[in-house]
Amino acid sequence: MAEPTSDKDYESKFEFPLWKLIKQRAEEKDISYVQASEEVVPEYVKTIRYRDTEFEDAEIHKRAEELRKIVKHEQNTLDVF
Amino acid sequence: MTLEQIADKVVETDVLVVGGGIAGCPAAAKAREHGLDVTLVEKAKTDRSGSAAAGIDHYGPGVRANYEELDKKYGKKVFRGEGFWEPVSGPGRFADMNVLNRIPDQGDWTIEELEKLGIPMRWNDGEFYWIPSVRYRGEMKAMLRVHWMNVKPLMAKAVRKKGVNVLERTMIVDLLTNNGRAVGATAVNTRTGEFTVIKAKAVIIATGLFARCYNPETPLFWKYKFRYHWCPATVSGDGLAMSYRAGAELANLDLPLWRFRERDDLTISHGNFPHNDGIPAKQMSWDGKDVLVSAGNTYAELEREGKLPIYYSLAHLPDDFHKRIEVAYTDERLVSFKIAEERGFDPRTHRFEVMDNRPHNFPLAGLNTDEDFMTLVNGLYAAGDSVNGFHGCGAATVMGFLVGDNIHKFVSAAGEPAIDETQVESQKLTALAPMTVKDGTEPMELESAVRYICDRYVGMLKSEGKLREGLRRLGSLRRVFLPKLMAKNPHYLMRCLEVRNIMDLAEVHIQATMARRETRVGYIRLDYPETDPARDNKITYQRMENGQAVLEIREVPDLKE
Repeated sequence: MAEPTSDKDYESKFEFPLWKLIKQRAEEKDISYVQASEEVVPEYVKTIRYRDTEFEDAEIHKRAEELRKIVKHEQNTLDVF
Repeated sequence: MTLEQIADKVVETDVLVVGGGIAGCPAAAKAREHGLDVTLVEKAKTDRSGSAAAGIDHYGPGVRANYEELDKKYGKKVFRGEGFWEPVSGPGRFADMNVLNRIPDQGDWTIEELEKLGIPMRWNDGEFYWIPSVRYRGEMKAMLRVHWMNVKPLMAKAVRKKGVNVLERTMIVDLLTNNGRAVGATAVNTRTGEFTVIKAKAVIIATGLFARCYNPETPLFWKYKFRYHWCPATVSGDGLAMSYRAGAELANLDLPLWRFRERDDLTISHGNFPHNDGIPAKQMSWDGKDVLVSAGNTYAELEREGKLPIYYSLAHLPDDFHKRIEVAYTDERLVSFKIAEERGFDPRTHRFEVMDNRPHNFPLAGLNTDEDFMTLVNGLYAAGDSVNGFHGCGAATVMGFLVGDNIHKFVSAAGEPAIDETQVESQKLTALAPMTVKDGTEPMELESAVRYICDRYVGMLKSEGKLREGLRRLGSLRRVFLPKLMAKNPHYLMRCLEVRNIMDLAEVHIQATMARRETRVGYIRLDYPETDPARDNKITYQRMENGQAVLEIREVPDLKE
């Protein structure tokens, strides 16, 4: 079971990996964050498995099964989302 | 007096487009392709205005599916737009599906049209990327992921390149009508106060939907522009209000979207929470137990059980999906990164608080139109969220293109617009009056009072006595404070006109709510706790007739075979 409330998680320091890259590029080239995003994102998306449908299906199915277990009444889980 | 004597400027055009968003721009561009003279009026700056100002990460209606197989499998006629409309489909119809079905039907055509305007539709590898659908995985391709961070500047550029006359920083006061036909509008410049008359053979309303009679997450949203989660949360419903006053019919103003108010010190693109490329978020009660909140009634149940607050969690997502969310932030609200880091909110590990359960905006509400998107007023069209039914950003572009592609037929048959000068003079008086008031009421103050009334006297848990009191208080505000509205500069003049629109729609909202005497999913009337089967498939329609408010409850047409 998860911890009651999430107090302990807040206010800790962290960085989004993509945001870090965007900030670095903006600083290096003295360009806006929007311009830096246009340069950085095409590289970043190459590291993401967008076209791996087998992987996607497995992950989606896993969560759908979890949802089915907590659904009340006769409601179809997937109708909720 | 002549128009030239009354107004600072007179503009003549074939088509007036009100609103430079993602419905208005495609409408204007397409109408220009038919050789029409088009004027687009935008109250802010078209390059970064409206609900799409900070970008969009998805496009809805490019639906591709084998419907015959789906119909057979699910034992019903699967609605053609179901892939992107399903979140608000409740029991019963709330819009004319014959009108809405034009949208998925034209989804592919619109993708081509958008690409011609220079809007990116493909993923980085040059192919379309379809977001996995939870329900119809592999069976229906319903939603494209798109890199639309710059969709607004790109659309604004395309519109100008087509030769559309773009009037920015220009707020429409009211529509001009003559013998039941829309013949233009009056407007004020929000920087100079210049009063303009626009004569037009046809008018397109593309100002989005209505939200601002309820509080968004942050009470000072005009100050913190992007600090809201659900889009669009800050629309004042200008087009709906001016069309209502001109005789057009509004639908579904009794049905605000029930929605959580979310953690108010943090804004990130909300769209990433519920779906996440096909993996729904986990919802949990304060003590970490799994819950499922699908509508206002289930939330109210949890509240009674002492289970609040509710949290969203994305901690279960695989790393690959968290990276997808990061890319989505760049496409829709880049500022999400900065604010999340400043507040110490990491979606990989932290929970996101769902604060409150209350009405939000009116995604189902809009102008009642025919299948060509014309309202009850001759020559007055609507596109995008201004049309009755739940649409969103992708559908807005489809309707924009459809109306723009069709309107030349009306324009070529319509005669020259005849303007009634007394109507113009009256609108000028209304528009500029706040500039002469000293020590009056600030528009934001009055707007806050309207939101207080709607939150307190309508809200989630409704009953007759509260509604009557709310209507009485709203009437009192209108009588006492509307004449005292004060504009210290032309920008405030725009705010004053917005408040007038918000008050008109709030009144329509309360009247519609009083007429729906039942409880239906997230619509809760404490004094009528049962669903009334007589209201199935029936919409509340409202219009002005000879200065009087008219409310009718009518059946929604069946979907034609």
